[in-house]
Order: sequence, then structure tokens, then C-alpha cells
Amino acid sequence: MVGQSTGSTLGRVTVYGLLILLSIIFVMPLYWLVTNSLQLVGSSSSFLPGGLHFENYYYAATLIDYWSYTKSSIILTSISVVIPTLTSALVGFGFARLRGPGKGFLFMMMLSTMMLPGIVTQIPTYVIFFKLGFLNTYWPWLFWALGGSAFSIFLYRQFFSSFPKDLEEAARIDGCSTFRIFWNIFMPISFPVIATVSILSFNGSWGGDYLTPFMFLQDDKYPLATALFSVGYAFPGDQRIEMTQVLNAGLVMFVLPIIVVFFIGQRYLVEGVVSSAVKG
Amino acid sequence: MSQAKSTGAIITEQTARMRPASKRRSIKAALEFYLFISPWFIVFVLLGLIPLFYGLYLSFTNYAGFNMDRLKFVGFDNYIKVFTDNDAMYSLGRTMLITCINVPASMAIGLLLAILLNQNVRNIGLYRTLFFIPSIIPIVAVGTMWRSLFTKEGVINQYLVQAGLEPVDWLGYDYAMLPLFIMLMWGVGGGILIYLAGLKAVSKELYEAAAIDGATTAQRFSRITLPLITPVLFFQFIMNIIGSLQIFVQPVLLAANSNSLLSTPIRPNYVYSVHAFQQIFAFNRFGYGLALLWVLFLMILLFTIVIFTTSKLWVFYEVEQEGK
Repeated sequence: MVGQSTGSTLGRVTVYGLLILLSIIFVMPLYWLVTNSLQLVGSSSSFLPGGLHFENYYYAATLIDYWSYTKSSIILTSISVVIPTLTSALVGFGFARLRGPGKGFLFMMMLSTMMLPGIVTQIPTYVIFFKLGFLNTYWPWLFWALGGSAFSIFLYRQFFSSFPKDLEEAARIDGCSTFRIFWNIFMPISFPVIATVSILSFNGSWGGDYLTPFMFLQDDKYPLATALFSVGYAFPGDQRIEMTQVLNAGLVMFVLPIIVVFFIGQRYLVEGVVSSAVKG
Repeated sequence: MSQAKSTGAIITEQTARMRPASKRRSIKAALEFYLFISPWFIVFVLLGLIPLFYGLYLSFTNYAGFNMDRLKFVGFDNYIKVFTDNDAMYSLGRTMLITCINVPASMAIGLLLAILLNQNVRNIGLYRTLFFIPSIIPIVAVGTMWRSLFTKEGVINQYLVQAGLEPVDWLGYDYAMLPLFIMLMWGVGGGILIYLAGLKAVSKELYEAAAIDGATTAQRFSRITLPLITPVLFFQFIMNIIGSLQIFVQPVLLAANSNSLLSTPIRPNYVYSVHAFQQIFAFNRFGYGLALLWVLFLMILLFTIVIFTTSKLWVFYEVEQEGK
């Protein structure tokens, strides 16, 4: 975009200089994380790796029950990605293409839930689920998933609203049911928004859902996001010694799926977020 | 009663005039609408509204996790305690201070980054990705990573030592807020997509016209860019304030011997949400903790309403809203 093109050579040098400097600042801590994860356990950290101690990754996976936490992460993330991606689409379609009394009010209500601090409802939910015996099970995640997520519903609604009315009218004349219109006409052309919602839900669950498992599950059912922080890697001989290098290795393995998913889907993510932000 | 009757009468009158087929169709359409939004609505009522008001109710009781069968109604006691509890007021002050620094700083940096990314340079997509990456890294990993960089033996102190300087106790009392802000600013890239969208929406002709009239870069920014992106700034302002007032996990992750979500951050980073969380999970003071959270919720609501009502004064909409 020419918008504010920088004319002078000096201007261009400044822009490139800043871009490169900032890129270094943003990537450096991640570089440190990876370098540190390859250092000899107990050694001090340094800029260049003092060796390639891949055994740290082995320790990270075996000193704590890494696989069991990963399994829990996979279960929680699958529930929180697959189901809300579908139910949010259904609700978003309703808000975008269907009509009923109170629609505007309900939509505002849905949006305002985004402002509510989650913990205000989670603590009483914890009390209720305790009474119903749902603590230390994955049921709560299934219930939350069924309702979709406000932000995903909003993204779908923005996307579905952008199509002309003719899209469904012809199908309606042919006697197509509303659900078939949604499923066979709208969903197949909505890949960008489905991808955006899936990626955001994946990040929110795999990496962002650490507090609810802490409240609703026992430590043996913790997902990685909760476990890596609260279980910790102590030296087998002496519990007081923290093995930072091994913890870093554990973190690298934990972060990797997020980076992979981001690079696969980044094109859609940028499009999806930007288009809804501009329209919204 | 009489009102209900009269609305009923109006509806019957209207429907009588409608053709039965179209009436049936609109009822069917409404039913379909409700059917489609029902997943959200049912869960919203059962796991949103009910817990919300149940929590409000509990905040007026002495509930402490075990005394459900002999719950006592204590009126506004828990709420009075919020405002007389020194720790609560101290932590509220810290939260306000952090919000007052974090919101303008992250907005200014976010906007600056977006302006940089809006320049006409090669490989801009690569820079955008690099700026964005920190914000997708899970906060638990980010916090642990920064903490290990800032410890006494961490990388940052080693650089200082190599440069012949004294190592600094970054996570200690005197400096603890600095790592917190560095960590917050590092993750600021999440907002740049939104700023960038706002910048891209400003039409090029405006800049061209201004350039012909001899406007300087600074003038073009303050007279064209800034007013035209106020809707985006407004959105970010609200979201940032809501987020900052609820700040919780970053201070906990930076606590000196942080090894659980119940770790207590060092005093300068002892924020309000941490205090509430401690009351509930460390001391089982559910009633009091919920009162603390409701005060926070009402504060957020109040801030949001104030910002919304004053937004007319400074938010500029290119297309005047119809009917207003």
C-alpha cells in the first residue's frame, strides 16, 4: 500500500532498520527458549547453545507423566474445537440469515457476554458442578462446547451476512429445508471462516485453557497448559533443584503444535480477523 | 393484565388481516430462528445466567465451601469488607496503576507497529508474521520463559555481567513491574491485525489530496489517519481496559518461586484478581471472593458504559449513522 510511502532514502533505511530490530526483539525470547532447552542440565544459560542436549526432551517427556497430560490436552482441545466450530456456525447462521422476534436483543446479549469476566460465572459453576458430581470429568467442557463461543458466533454471523439473498432463495423455491441450505450451501463456501474459528479455538484451548482445568480437574487429569506450570521438573535426587532446561524442552514441545497450526492456517486467520473487524 | 390483553388484541387483529399462509410462514421462520440459536441460548441460560446470579446470591452469604446446608444470609457484609480490606484496596490500586500504564502503552506500540507494517516495503508478510507470533504463544509458556530470562542467573543478568555491570534482582521488590510490562508489551502484536485493518481502510485519495496541499507527514497523521481510525482505537481501548482490569496470570507466572496458580506475586504485582482468586482457592472464602469478583464485574461494566457514552465526543464515523 502506498498509503504513507516513505520517499527519502533515509526514511526507507529507518523503516527497514525498525522492522528488523523489532523482529529480533519479538523472536529473541523464543530463540532463548529453544537454546536453553538444549543446554546441559544445571549449566547457566548463554546466547549460543553450549551443546545439543536432546536428552532434555527425553527427560521432559519421561520425568513427569507428559503423555498423560498430552492426552488430556488432546481430549479437551478436540471437544473445544470440533463441537463449538459446528454449533457456533449454526447459531451464527441463525443470527445472519433467519428472522424472529427479539433477534437484535439476543444478539446484543450474546456480544455482551464477551465483556463478562469468565471467572464470575466459573466459580458458581464450580459449586453447581460439585453438587452434580461433574468435577474431575470432561463433561463440563462438553456442555460449554455445545453453546459455541461468542466470538466465533460473531465471526460466522459477519461472514454469512455478506452473501446476497439470492443464494438461498432459489434453493427455498426448490423446497430445500433451512438446515439443508445451511449445511449444503453455506458451509461448503465458508472454509476461510471455519478455518479461522478452528485455529482460534485451538489456540484458546490448547494454550489458553489452564485455569478451568485447575479448578475442575484433579492433577492427574490436567492438560499440559496447567500441568507444565504447576507440576514442574525437580531434580530426581533433590526436589529443590528446578531443572529449567528440561522445563524449557517441555515448553517447546507444548508450543510446537500451536506454531504448526498457525503457519498452516495463517492466511485464513489474517483474512478472517481483518474482514470481520472492518465490517464490524 | 389489561396491557397484555390489548397487545393480544392487536396481534389477533394483525394476523386476521394477514393471509394465513404468510402468517404460518413467519411463525415457522421464527421457530426456525429460535431452533438455530437454541444451542447458544440454552447453554447461555444454564451455564451463563444461572451461575451468574447464583454467584450473586452466594456473595450475600457466608458460603465457605463446606457450609452449604447452613448457609447464612449476611446482607452487604462481604461488600463492605471489600472496601475495608486493606489488601483488596491495595491490589485494586495496583490493578488501576497497571491498567493506566498498560492500556496507553500497548495501544501506542500496537499502532506504531501497524503503521510500520503499513509501509510499502518488501516481505511485509514476513514481518507481520514475526510481530504476530508472540501473541499466539500460550501465556503459560510466555510467563515461564520470561521468568527464566529474568531470574538472578538468567540470560539477561549474564549479559549485564559480561558488560561489566552488576546483576539486577529483576523479580524482586524494586524491579518487579518492569518484567511484567516487558512481558505485556512483547505480546502486543495480537492487536496489530485490527489496527492494520483500520489503517488500510483509510482511502489513499485523502493522503494524495493532502500531499498536493503540502501537508507534512505529521499533519497527515494527526489530521487524517488519527481521526479516521478512531473507531478502531475505540474498540481496542475497550478491549484493553477490560483485559487489563482482569489481569491475573502474568503476575502469578512472574512470582519469584512461582510453581502453582496459587503462588502469590511479589507485592508490587499483587493485583485484584489474584486477591480474589486467593480468597476463594487458598482460604475457601467463596462468599467474600464472589463479592470481590462482582465488584470487579460492576467496575468493568461502569468503565464500559462511561467509555461508550463519551465515545460520541471523540469517535469519528465516516458514514453518519442513519436515524440518529
